[in-house]
Amino acid sequence: MMTTETTPTVQVEGLRKTFYDESRGEVHAVDGIDFDCRPGEVFGLLGANGAGKTTTLRMLSTVLRPTGGRARVMGHDVVTEPEAVRESLGFYSASTALYPRLTARETLEFFARINRYPPDRVPERVEELVDRFGIREYERGRVEKLSSGMKQKVSIARTVAHDPPVLIFDEPTVGLDVLNALEMVKVIRELRDEGKTILFSSHIMSEVEKLCDRIGVIHRGRMLAMGTLEELRELTGEHYLEDIFVHYVTRTEGVEGVELGAMGELEPAAPGDGEGAEESIPQGADAGGEEA
Amino acid sequence: MTRRRERDRRDLSVLATILRYELRMLLRDTRTILIAVVAPLIILPGWILLSNRVERSDERRLEEAEYRYAVTGSEAAWAREQIAQALAWQDPDSDRPAAPFSFVETSVPEPDSALLAGDLHLVVDALSPADFAAVLREELAEAIARAEAAAAEGGGGPDARAAALAQALEDSDFPLGEVRGVRLLYRAQSDFSRNAQERLEERLRRIRAAKRDSVYRAVGFPVPVETVAVVVEEDVASAEKVAGSVLGLVLTPFLLVLMLSGGSIIAADALSGEKERGTLETLLTTAATRSEIVRAKQLAVMVVGLAVAVVNVANLAVYLGLGVLDLPQGLQIGLSVGQTLALLFLFLPLATLVSAALLFLSGVSKSYREYQIYFFPLVIVLLVPSLAPVLPGMELRSVIAMVPVAGIAVAVRDVLLSGVDWLFAGIAFGSTAAAGVLIAGWVENSLSNERLISSAELDEADLIGGAALFPRHVFQWFLGFWVVFFVISLWYGDDLGAKGQVVVNLVGIFFGGSLFLIRRYRLPVRETLALRLPHPAAWLAALVGAPSALLVGVGLAELVNTYVFPVPEELLRAFGESLAEPGFPLWQMVFFLAVMPGVFEEIAFRGVLLHGIRKRWGPWATALAVGVIFGFFHVALFRIVPTAFLGVILAGVVLLTRSIYPAVLWHILNNAMSIVPFQLGWLPEDFTPPSILTPVAVVTLSASLWLMWKTSPREPRLAPRTSPSG
Amino acid sequence: MNLRSIWILYVRELRSALRERTIVVNSILMPIFLYPVMLWVLFSGFNLVQGLSEGVTSRVIFTTPAPAGHGELLDSIRAREGMSIVGWENLANAREVSESGALEGVPLFGEGEALARLREGNADVVVTFFEPPPEGQALPGNFRVRLRYDRAEGRSVQARDRVEAVVEVYRNLWMVRQAGTLGIDPEARFQFALSSENVSSSQDLGAMVLAQLISFFLVIMVALGCFVPAVDTTAGERERSTWETLMTVAASRASMVTAKYLYVATLGIAAGALNVVALFISIGAVIRPLLEDAGESITFSIPLKAIPIMMAGAASLAFFFAAAMMILASFARSFKDGQAMVQPVYWLIFLPFILGGQTDRNLTPAIASIPVANVSMMIRDAVTGVFIWPLIAQTLIVTLATVLLCLVAARYVLRFEDFLLGSFDGSFWRFVRDRMSAGKNGTAY
Repeated sequence: MMTTETTPTVQVEGLRKTFYDESRGEVHAVDGIDFDCRPGEVFGLLGANGAGKTTTLRMLSTVLRPTGGRARVMGHDVVTEPEAVRESLGFYSASTALYPRLTARETLEFFARINRYPPDRVPERVEELVDRFGIREYERGRVEKLSSGMKQKVSIARTVAHDPPVLIFDEPTVGLDVLNALEMVKVIRELRDEGKTILFSSHIMSEVEKLCDRIGVIHRGRMLAMGTLEELRELTGEHYLEDIFVHYVTRTEGVEGVELGAMGELEPAAPGDGEGAEESIPQGADAGGEEA
Repeated sequence: MTRRRERDRRDLSVLATILRYELRMLLRDTRTILIAVVAPLIILPGWILLSNRVERSDERRLEEAEYRYAVTGSEAAWAREQIAQALAWQDPDSDRPAAPFSFVETSVPEPDSALLAGDLHLVVDALSPADFAAVLREELAEAIARAEAAAAEGGGGPDARAAALAQALEDSDFPLGEVRGVRLLYRAQSDFSRNAQERLEERLRRIRAAKRDSVYRAVGFPVPVETVAVVVEEDVASAEKVAGSVLGLVLTPFLLVLMLSGGSIIAADALSGEKERGTLETLLTTAATRSEIVRAKQLAVMVVGLAVAVVNVANLAVYLGLGVLDLPQGLQIGLSVGQTLALLFLFLPLATLVSAALLFLSGVSKSYREYQIYFFPLVIVLLVPSLAPVLPGMELRSVIAMVPVAGIAVAVRDVLLSGVDWLFAGIAFGSTAAAGVLIAGWVENSLSNERLISSAELDEADLIGGAALFPRHVFQWFLGFWVVFFVISLWYGDDLGAKGQVVVNLVGIFFGGSLFLIRRYRLPVRETLALRLPHPAAWLAALVGAPSALLVGVGLAELVNTYVFPVPEELLRAFGESLAEPGFPLWQMVFFLAVMPGVFEEIAFRGVLLHGIRKRWGPWATALAVGVIFGFFHVALFRIVPTAFLGVILAGVVLLTRSIYPAVLWHILNNAMSIVPFQLGWLPEDFTPPSILTPVAVVTLSASLWLMWKTSPREPRLAPRTSPSG
Repeated sequence: MNLRSIWILYVRELRSALRERTIVVNSILMPIFLYPVMLWVLFSGFNLVQGLSEGVTSRVIFTTPAPAGHGELLDSIRAREGMSIVGWENLANAREVSESGALEGVPLFGEGEALARLREGNADVVVTFFEPPPEGQALPGNFRVRLRYDRAEGRSVQARDRVEAVVEVYRNLWMVRQAGTLGIDPEARFQFALSSENVSSSQDLGAMVLAQLISFFLVIMVALGCFVPAVDTTAGERERSTWETLMTVAASRASMVTAKYLYVATLGIAAGALNVVALFISIGAVIRPLLEDAGESITFSIPLKAIPIMMAGAASLAFFFAAAMMILASFARSFKDGQAMVQPVYWLIFLPFILGGQTDRNLTPAIASIPVANVSMMIRDAVTGVFIWPLIAQTLIVTLATVLLCLVAARYVLRFEDFLLGSFDGSFWRFVRDRMSAGKNGTAY
């Protein structure tokens, strides 16, 4: 599945997030990231734990406020129009839990309503979701009594309860068993085929390999490379995504403080991609950032 | 326009959805509801009933007990006669026989020791006139000696009892040495002994009065003695009003506690519980705005808090109605419709404030447990102002109306008593409601505070330890210092004397404590104590600022005294530091009371404490916190206003100049100015600066602070909002 | 059970407890800081209220002039500190001014206006002189005073008391003068002198106050000290899923549970001990000055013999609370649930409050059989120096029996695998229903 000519639904330009910590001083969790994605595309953020994936996605979902740069979802700015942004996206992560004392059905109804789905069409929508995700059997069971597989289904259903055009899956397969993880991948594929824009983050290579149309390699808050799997293979000469990832990471780690701008050449202009991604890596930003 | 209305409608629907689900989830939490709501409904009356039972049986035991007494002294035979008359005495005004009264004389070899051992309840010591006179003189001499000893120690007020005794003997024509004396010896720590003494004394008084009467009659006094200059009391208050006066004092605190404990059931779960479970993040990624979330949850807390309060009051009413519980005697509670409406109106902002405060607690806590740690202090903070009506002379027509909670409490009392001044009730309503809205705003902000939302983040300070932990522990340490300070000054204050106390507090607690903390947390000394030279202009500013601040502080204290509540002059003086000690040369005074506090208090408060707080809070909050804590270190609650003011200003000086030196100078000047002019006789002891000076001082103080701000060294900012983009 | 492994587990529990803020606050900081802070607030509040009510001026309003010859009475009302006569400042406006010598200058008000002022709170007491009762009319110059006040207003009651006191003094003076003219000698007039004297030593008084406070607060503090650790080490572990990890270590379950139990009891004892020490240090600072103002001297000391009793009491309470709370809390799956489950134990701490109302009550065989209340009473007795050894023994035996009962219950509960492993869903009733009817499906360890 390749990107199409449509306009991007998610646009991220020079996004950065700096935390101030009592003990560590300034921490650059996300240090100027650019990317965009389009309807019908799965964009994967690949990175180790603490690379800045979650922070980036949380900024997109307006839970965190960016320190710099811009991000738009469906044309709405995450800083100035957070409600409109959230209305048009569904956010799923391993840490977004469900209310234990609501039933599966009530959960879906609740999230459809507070996401401003037209109230008169909520019951209809809930029926649809119950059927589609196979929740029927336990729709009246309280979430606390459900098995983790059932919970997962309810959780995905609640993410798409208001039928948002953009979906964010932040490490969705963490803690799932093989079958459940496969189920998750399957659902994401289906959603993509329906024309949703999907942002997906993971540190599991095989998943990213299988699922993502384009991949961004993220490390220490920077985007090291971005492109389709094929493009990345070509650029690095490695076949497996794992090796590609290691290739980039060791290059930055090994030559600390090297002109990161040089990395830009790794990023060819994607075919049909209007804006070249060359400038995507900011220049002159100070390196590292762990020391305050 | 229509679009906007459409949007508003949808807003409400989101709010209603959250509220509905919040309540539904609570109702499904059967265990919490059973234990936190239902069980107390049954248990509380049960306990009240049990305690009433025990109390009544205790009373009966006192009533029916057999009291053992012994009679001693040279006039024992005479005394037995008096006691017999006393025990047989009947109240002529009442047809009911007096309460059963069982006094048994018990002969024991050593009555005094038997009394002490608890074998006797009472010893009646009957003395001949000469003996009684001797005993009385001895007592008087002792009392006078005690008073003199206290006066010699310094500071101790005159012994009121001794003075009264001496006065009584002087004034009355008491025929010392001519009448017999009866002394009732009892043990104050025994209820029975005390009861025996009270009852016998009462009856002895009665028969004595009857005897006097007959003496007067015998010599031709025309009327019974008890008809002379009779005082007739007449209570004009209706029963409702009396009930209202009691109810007016307890109603607000009572409802407050109920609302707090009821609202807490849901508030604990509302944000901190959601953080713990991870559902808060889910909620924050939905299209509901933060203000919708906060408003809906606040509403839920309010609904539950009010419901629990209503249920509890109704429950008590049912028990009262069934006669299971009794109201205190003579209490009749009857509320008119108008009063009820007025009360509802006044409790509305209170409920808003309570729910906002609970939610705020929940918002700043990362987990359910953390919430619980803060819950108890919150109850205290809200409960103390609600006790305002207890203070004598507290009127709604004063600044109290502007104090949240306190204003409402006083207004509620007025509604129940005599009618309320609606203008001031409105002010009370407004101030409390405004506080509620303000706090609700804080809750909204807490939902944007990243450190608070994501609970899972690793707390690195724990791993690094040392200096990184200090900001979080600084309050606990200062609480500890305060306790030590408090205990020493009250427990050993007299023994140490002024100089000793200054040395112990300043060198021992403040300086020693500071050194300890610096060592314990390996704090960088230079940075912690802000040991760096300020801009030269800062010195000038301090010279101008110190006297100005002193004047402003005096003015402020006067303002509080006049408009909040008047604290009597003697009280202030009694609690003022006894600065002027006799035989204390001026240079020593200046050294001990100005220079030493200036140095050591600054090191502790504007050095270590400020350093700790500054890492966590913004400059305004820091200055305020440092000031208030500094104020609390001056023991007497009434002196908190001027000292806290000085503390805030000095903290501001350090923050502005980034140096501790101007603050030290300022502090020394401040203290010296309240000593030297009086000691040298330039100013009279009771000098108060003319109030015209206060506005002038405000201007000069502002100018001095402005100068410090202008010349303040610019440091790279700690946490830039936006980093420069490349 | 292996003592060494119990010790290791016990130390581990204690160490991690001291790093947990909730536990440190509840079991250590609260007992230490509660008294100084509480007593200080009390002290300041008391002084403030006292000072304020002393300073309140009583506004007296007159509706009639004083009877002839009693002008002095008005003078003494006027002269008393804290009294002001309504209308004094604008005498000219008063409608009526008495003409008799000493009464001059007392402004009078009409009944209606005076009462209206009283009701509105602009006056505190209305003074009206009127003729004496029929049997008292034979005395020339005799009168009655009616004091109208508002019982609902504190300052009105205070004003009434002040006026009444002035009248009383005046009456005595008058009677003395009468006695002089009638030729009654003072001896006959006074009959005899009457005084009451407390013979308790200052130590006894101090012991009473201390006993009352210690016996109440020790129970509360031990319960509070056990509370969080008990919930944390059972329900809390289950919530954090560290329970299962713990079950896999190579110590027997019995030693694990014993170690936990000892740890909870230790914190309970620590809280109790810290509390007594803090109380002892801070009480003198507040209660002593207050009582000394009231003219009582007071010394605080505890008889040496009472110390082992207090320790035994605190320990037995701690073992009881620890056992009871841990059993209840182990039914819960989360900390919050655990807290709710433990509440019923908390209600027990009010027992001593109810039974301890009377200072003379000592241990009786009946009280010695009521858990919690008996220990509290035993400690109270000990602090006041009363030692009824058979009943002390009974108290300790009853408490230990209760503890043993709890432990048997715990042993029974712990026999069930699912319960131990944390897969149990936490319903107390379900547990009772399922297991009590068919205890056989439990597996003994």
